[in-house]
Amino acid sequence: MNGIHDLGGMHGLGPIEPEADEPVFHHGWERRAFALTLAAGAGGAWNIDMGRFARECMPPAEYLATGYYEHWLYGLERLLVEQGIVTRDEIAARVDQARREDGA
Amino acid sequence: MTWRILKAADAEAVMRKGGSARIDADLAARFRPGDAIVARNINPPGHTRVPRYVRGRRGRIDRDHGVFIFPDDHARDGTQTPQHCYSVKFSGRELWGPDAEENHFVYLDLFDDYLDPA
Amino acid sequence: MSDHDHERLSETEIRVRALESLLVDKGLVDPAALDILIDTYETKVGPRNGAKVVAKAWTDADYKARLLADATAAITGLGFTGRQGEDMVVLENTSQVHNMTVCTLCSCYPWPVLGLPPVWYKAAPYRARAVIDPRGVLAEFGVALPAETEIRVWDSTAELRYLVLPMRPVDTDGLSEAELAKLVTRDSMIGTGLPLSPAELARAAE
Repeated sequence: MNGIHDLGGMHGLGPIEPEADEPVFHHGWERRAFALTLAAGAGGAWNIDMGRFARECMPPAEYLATGYYEHWLYGLERLLVEQGIVTRDEIAARVDQARREDGA
Repeated sequence: MTWRILKAADAEAVMRKGGSARIDADLAARFRPGDAIVARNINPPGHTRVPRYVRGRRGRIDRDHGVFIFPDDHARDGTQTPQHCYSVKFSGRELWGPDAEENHFVYLDLFDDYLDPA
Repeated sequence: MSDHDHERLSETEIRVRALESLLVDKGLVDPAALDILIDTYETKVGPRNGAKVVAKAWTDADYKARLLADATAAITGLGFTGRQGEDMVVLENTSQVHNMTVCTLCSCYPWPVLGLPPVWYKAAPYRARAVIDPRGVLAEFGVALPAETEIRVWDSTAELRYLVLPMRPVDTDGLSEAELAKLVTRDSMIGTGLPLSPAELARAAE
């Protein structure tokens, strides 16, 4: 697709800003999102090319404003829902529960 | 659809095995190293791995990597179409115009279906 | 980071936690498997693997020839195999040619030899600029090459994964493979950096 992910040659995206001595993961949730994506991918409901396409479908403004593992989370949720493995309502309900448990 | 749960005991082995996209198929290649090609101007709404910056541009086959799963079909419905995948060389000036630096080349890995003879 | 970013990331943390608990409760993922995946890529697989490949190529001409002819076999032979590195190509830097790798479309990277990619490699600025302004990118990394050096940028658009074989630094005669491996930086194997000189390594250790 002619999506936002197809970035080669684009201008205006700013400096590269490499971080010195960067850790592999910056947040605990990144670790979980990484592992969940790999484990769910091993489930066999989709292949790696379908996995990439799901991320490519992220709304462009969101894609540019969010980090890498947020793209993975978007793709994972999208695939799980598309394949009928979980529903949006189930996710929403679980998020509400987690928020309550968090005391937020 | 049968889901295969990844068990802890298998996790490392599964990662070490990986999942090569290479297909062991005796398939004739459309191109040979040295051939001049032009990348097709295709704009599929689904998944593809031919970036916009190279479509319609002229390049040269640098290497035939062999036969691999064609990603566009695989993403669409899991079909494993075997196709040759080539390393294709493009000059910076071909891609970005006459003001681009000399001495700058971009190599992309492109499938048979992304290419036409020039 | 702005307050807005903090809020968004706390939301994301909650969302990930919720998704994990949902998938575990449905019997679709094994939480112990998740821990192993994290541990593998956080602590066990990383650029020290690629540095061993490079150091061996620098000291063993026969290995280097095999590496350039069939990188997959030569790298597998050292025990570095697995996901996102099943089909490898090694690119040799010379005094005439400098190689740089990128994945403009996503973040494809040779995990078994370099581990997981750094944030900058996966982010939009590098992915956009590497193919159109490689010298500008190298300048941002503090690398200045002579104008006559040919720059080759390799966009990993398929399932081949690329490892740059940097040039062996001068004044390294007599160093062991293990000592040479310490000079090989991750960025030098992506092509956005050069290996350390022995003097630079000594200074970094101070």
